[in-house]
Amino acid sequence: MSHGHDDPTLHPEVQISTSRGYFLGFAISSILMLVATFLVTSHAVPPFGLLMVISACAGIAIMAQIYFLLHIDISEHNIWNTVALVLFIPLFLITIGLTWWMFSQLYLHTMIMPGMPGMMH
Amino acid sequence: MLVDLAGGWNPMLGRLAWSQIPYDNPILAPLFVAVVIGTIIILGLITYYGKWTYLWKEWLTTVDHKKLGVMYIILGLVMLFRGFIDGLMIRTQQAWAVGTHSSGVFGATHGYLTPFHFGQVYSAHGLIMILLAATPLLVGFMNIIVPIQIGARDMAYPYLNALGLWITAAAGALIMISLFVGDFAHNGWFGYAPIFELQYSPGVGVDYWIWTMELVALGTTLGGINILATIIKMRAPGMSWGRLPIFVWASLSANVIALTSFPALQVALGLVAADRYLGAHFFTAGLGGNLMLYTNLFWIWGHPEVYFVILPAFGMMSEIFPTFSEKPLFGYITMVLASLAIAGVSWLVWLHHFFTMGAGPYVNSAFSVATMLVGIPTGVKVFNWAFTMYRGRLTFNAAMLWAIGALFLLLIGGLTGMMLAVPAINYMVHNSVFVVAHFHSMLLVIVYAIFASVIYWFPKVFGFKLDEFWAKTMFWLFSAGTTLVFVPMYMLGFMGMTRRLDYVFNTAWHPYLLVMEFGIVVYMISVLAFFALLYVSIRDHAKNRVGTDAWGTSRSLEWLTHSPVPFYNFAVLPHISTRDEVAWRRDNGIDHVQPDHYEDIHMPNNTGVAIILGGLTFVLGFALVWRIWWLCILSLLAIMALVIYRSFKGDPGYIITAAELEEMEKDAMRREAQIGKQHYRVGGGVLGDAIAYERSDLPPLASQPGSSVGLDHRS
Repeated sequence: MSHGHDDPTLHPEVQISTSRGYFLGFAISSILMLVATFLVTSHAVPPFGLLMVISACAGIAIMAQIYFLLHIDISEHNIWNTVALVLFIPLFLITIGLTWWMFSQLYLHTMIMPGMPGMMH
Repeated sequence: MLVDLAGGWNPMLGRLAWSQIPYDNPILAPLFVAVVIGTIIILGLITYYGKWTYLWKEWLTTVDHKKLGVMYIILGLVMLFRGFIDGLMIRTQQAWAVGTHSSGVFGATHGYLTPFHFGQVYSAHGLIMILLAATPLLVGFMNIIVPIQIGARDMAYPYLNALGLWITAAAGALIMISLFVGDFAHNGWFGYAPIFELQYSPGVGVDYWIWTMELVALGTTLGGINILATIIKMRAPGMSWGRLPIFVWASLSANVIALTSFPALQVALGLVAADRYLGAHFFTAGLGGNLMLYTNLFWIWGHPEVYFVILPAFGMMSEIFPTFSEKPLFGYITMVLASLAIAGVSWLVWLHHFFTMGAGPYVNSAFSVATMLVGIPTGVKVFNWAFTMYRGRLTFNAAMLWAIGALFLLLIGGLTGMMLAVPAINYMVHNSVFVVAHFHSMLLVIVYAIFASVIYWFPKVFGFKLDEFWAKTMFWLFSAGTTLVFVPMYMLGFMGMTRRLDYVFNTAWHPYLLVMEFGIVVYMISVLAFFALLYVSIRDHAKNRVGTDAWGTSRSLEWLTHSPVPFYNFAVLPHISTRDEVAWRRDNGIDHVQPDHYEDIHMPNNTGVAIILGGLTFVLGFALVWRIWWLCILSLLAIMALVIYRSFKGDPGYIITAAELEEMEKDAMRREAQIGKQHYRVGGGVLGDAIAYERSDLPPLASQPGSSVGLDHRS
């Protein structure tokens, strides 16, 4: 078991992590969360705009966390990180996409209210 | 306080009060006394025999994957027993409380359980069986077998492995303590919005449910990361992907599911906790909450979880059939692809748990088709097992019987699953006991595979075989119980009996319910047979000792090392030259070749940090349930401090020198030679069950298993 004696801090996946990166990732996600919370509690933006803004905030926060905290990139010495990313993207699309489709269909059938397109026919 | 709490709350004890201890409950109070007496006896015995140091040094602080696996399995078996007792209570209530004339005791109008208590029993039954019995049992087997099968000395992260076990144990302790302090959730094991919201379930039951599941999810995720890293990084030289034993492939695909799906559960339950603790409105009926979002999020985890527990069971069956058919597994590559396909499709089918929600024909058809797709890879597996057995030299010993039982149940559960995948049928039998019978068939596949594996791998871990007679007795009793409980349940499902009835209004169903009650009693006898099996096997262990290859016809790498497996697994890491390495070595007569020299081995040190962290997680969970905020903060800070301390301290490990290793190896081989001689005299008793009878229509094997080739070096 020769590799057991190696210094784990010399591994490439450890080498790319810096405390600056971690703090930056933490700061970016915290700020975005605070912005979203403020927008929701202050009712400063109309509902649809609010939905778009906090979705955008969440998207940027995910990117920051993937890059700064999880160190997932597509470099060569982190090939297993790339595998994880390749596995993650379809799952993300499946869960979010199919949930979206399911709920839009559900609302079409169950949330029939005056004035909604469902009432027209 | 962000939310209004019914009942009192004080800063010191949170919601905890004397009135929360059910000392006036006629079922729980005597049980509590029994548990206390039992605990005192066990602790007293440990003290009397002076085993505390042994227990602490060898088990509680261990990072050895085999001992951790054994503890996972013990935890799983204890929780399996608890879940079974819940099942017994459910069956008894339903056999008793039938019709308006049925009597009632202990404050219940009918039967002996009040509706609220009955709700807690079935919720605990479901949660325990899936998350605290099946999951730890399977994780335990993966823990023990995967590293040995890939030729590794330990898991990739031994300390993380111990941490996973102790966090899972903390979850088990949390659900057990809910029996005696407060109550448990009554909302079913998967929960319904909005009944778990604070205004409809003001007690602590739902909080116990949330934090128990959160802890299991955390423990299992950590275990999953560990097993994946071990398989990817720690394979012995020559162990290419195409040579991995099939159980390792099953574990790999199962843990990919675990790693990707358990976070969804943690998020879903985190949002429920936000509703209950912070007054949020994620799943409330009003104020922008969405009831169905909870069901959706839960089953995004829930369905992959089902395959997370079935895939290792498939892997176990794939190991057992070839061993006792004396043939390589039929269709290795299709088996691997089928496992990965099941893992992939598991993410596309979760909506079939709520077809009746009303998402309409397009959505339901899409998920119906996706669900039926699961039948293709599963069918491939079933045919592969059948072809493995076809024209094989079958040995019907206990392990094989359990595996074949699993195959039968898979057919029943799988075909009823295909029925349920059709939305039109689903609308008819939705929420009936037909669904309950279906998923019990599937989960019993896992239970059968687990008992098959207990018998199959027991000699590898402990060095002696389990008693065949009692193992077979248990199998037949258990199978009789399965038939008697679940055949009437399928019939009642078609008659329209809904699930979770604390009172059965239709007296025409009474005969079926009585048959099921009889069946559960047979189950109870099979549990007693299991205790007898353990007792007899341990009593006669000297007679049943085995050598490296316990069955004489084993195929994969775990049978290359000694039984019981030494703590370093392999004295010299084997070089893998083919798939089914042990069978290949045996056929070529090199299965007992010993290395000419040894090298130093680097091993991890034991650590008490993991069990202390587990204890602190339990305290954190308990404090969260009872909203004792100071204790929450204190235990959380302690956990963080301990994790940081351990990270900086690290573990340099220790070295076993080549000389020490040689000594231990010599000892092990001397012991083995002893067994060989003993059994050689009595006509291969140890291999007795594994030797196939010659069939005239088959060509003789190149080398008869257990023949002189393997025993040469001993005499």
